[in-house]
Amino acid sequence: MDVELAKPFVKAAVDVIGTMAFITPRAGKPFVKKNTIATGDVTGLVGLTGDGKRGSVSISFQKSCAVAMVKNMLGDDIQDILQDVKDAVGEITNMISGQARAGLAEKGLVLQGSTPTVIMGDNHSITHIAKSPIMAIPFETDQGNFTIEFCFE
Amino acid sequence: MATLEGFRNKDFLDQITILNDIAGSKTPQDLPALIDLFANPTGDTGVDYMVVGALNAVLGTSESAVIEGLASASVPFRTLCIRTAGEYAFASAAEPLSAMAASETDPDLLVEILASLAKIRPAGGAAVFRAFLEHPDAMLAAMAMEMAGVYADPLALPTLMDTVKGAEADDAYDTCGITTWKAIDALAAIATPESLAFLVECVHHKNPTARRIITDALVRLGETALPYLEPAYSAASLDMRILACNIAGFIGLRKGADALVRAFDTGRFTDPNVRYAAFEALGRIGTLKGLVCLVDGLEENDELILMAVVTGLERHAAPGVLKTIAERITAGTENSPRIAKAIIASRALRLFQELYKEPGVAESLMTALCQSQDQDILDAFAQRLKQMGTDAACADAASLPRAKAATRKALAVDDSKSMLALYRNILTDMGFEPLLASNGQEAYAFVESGEFADVVVTDMNMPIMDGVELVAKLRGALGYEDTPILMVTTESENSQRDVAHKAGVSGFITKPFKPEALKTALRQLLGAQRES
Repeated sequence: MDVELAKPFVKAAVDVIGTMAFITPRAGKPFVKKNTIATGDVTGLVGLTGDGKRGSVSISFQKSCAVAMVKNMLGDDIQDILQDVKDAVGEITNMISGQARAGLAEKGLVLQGSTPTVIMGDNHSITHIAKSPIMAIPFETDQGNFTIEFCFE
Repeated sequence: MATLEGFRNKDFLDQITILNDIAGSKTPQDLPALIDLFANPTGDTGVDYMVVGALNAVLGTSESAVIEGLASASVPFRTLCIRTAGEYAFASAAEPLSAMAASETDPDLLVEILASLAKIRPAGGAAVFRAFLEHPDAMLAAMAMEMAGVYADPLALPTLMDTVKGAEADDAYDTCGITTWKAIDALAAIATPESLAFLVECVHHKNPTARRIITDALVRLGETALPYLEPAYSAASLDMRILACNIAGFIGLRKGADALVRAFDTGRFTDPNVRYAAFEALGRIGTLKGLVCLVDGLEENDELILMAVVTGLERHAAPGVLKTIAERITAGTENSPRIAKAIIASRALRLFQELYKEPGVAESLMTALCQSQDQDILDAFAQRLKQMGTDAACADAASLPRAKAATRKALAVDDSKSMLALYRNILTDMGFEPLLASNGQEAYAFVESGEFADVVVTDMNMPIMDGVELVAKLRGALGYEDTPILMVTTESENSQRDVAHKAGVSGFITKPFKPEALKTALRQLLGAQRES
């Protein structure tokens, strides 16, 4: 059941971004995407396998939101904004994936997560590996938006 | 109890060994001590995590303890019991869980409760899920809809249908909510005459994603869906007729082809777009009756429809069919050269190879081939001629002209093979090198790989990524800000054109069109671009 799988990721995203970056995201209405392309300025992507399933979860941040996260996490100690954004998004994606998978493991669904890949570039596109419809959950923050996309088969 | 005595004072390795043993042996006596450890964690994440695992394993052997736990004052323990009840499908948990579902207000906990009930799947469970169909939390409502499908709950139909219809409202149709998706899938799973007739009525849903999900659901249903498609062939909306033909083609069953032939015979397919879609579907299915109908289609004057007919016949080139095509080509009627041209333009190599052997046909085919401005087409047929190996064929291969080298490129996007073949034909004729893609995603891949097109022709409705979305993405891509984009559409509603226009489409052309009309439209767009 997709919802049961997706919910822990949403919850983990709100928890992690709230705790690590002191930003409170507000979840919007989930929607279905027909294509397999995620669009954003900075994206963290994790592949998931286990229990006969495979899929991917991506978190795509608008630039303003990613930069705000880094500033909140590192304070004034920013050396190289590009590298720091990349590291921060990778780290946050990893934590979200870890926390959500821990939640799913408690339900008896053990998933292996890949090391996150971070893609940067204004309005880039990435492709999910799945044939089933993709559920996207938009989030708003005061510093910009981000979207979690979730697909599983 | 012995194993957990003094647990907190043991070292890490001992602790995890003990917990591992318990998780394997699942001794009920360990339960009280485990519950205590769960309530008062050790503080070591690794150990505490294993406590949850061991507790879950032991609870799995004790249905009564789980039922008791469902009433626990501790939220974490109650949540664990809710999950365990579902994981082991404890039937006696259904009643307390249903009662909890009725009174609980926290959406997170409700997801746990409903997920657990979904796994137990109690006999009377449909009513519990039905109560959540209109829940404000979209995820909960989606879950309830999924279960309405699992239970094939007829009482859920009104809400499910309202959800799908409601998604067409003016302020809602630009996105497809997950409840719309789940409602469509549930309606297909319930599969009553009412729900299926409703889905067919909605095949031309305003939201393209929903439309795609409905098409997929009906195709999945296969034979069950076929009787409901037939009334759509007489529908007032042409789009609905076209989509119903497409679905029958994708289902690919004889019954579907028979119904399409009946619709032809009773004069329901008079519109050229519908005829095109119906011939394409018949070509996909390929029954005897369908083939007869396709052969009749050789009488069509429209270049595009002829290409759909030829593409269909190419798939099922039987000797009888070949003979008839040969007769039509040599008959010397107005349509004879058109058929030859359609065979070349749709790259029907099999038909070509067989027909080439027929006396008098080879000349007509070669005339059509020599007129092609498309080097790829010329190369493909030259290669086939060489493979055939006869002296005449080799001589013909050697005599083929070379197409003029194209200096400009054009990107054409359509999910129909025949349409792409037509675009290839028209675009090469205009001196473009064609880049062809069968959906928006493929088209965008060209752009990402650094290809630049001077002009783009795209269909509106396509799987995976539709035309509107492609246009929006192209407008954001470097170098495509002002590229002329022509959208080909059969859409009757203005609202759809508005969406496309907002996305950045430069012009529209309505199917069916004569090749000359497309050329004119493209020249106008390119001219306007030069002037601006």
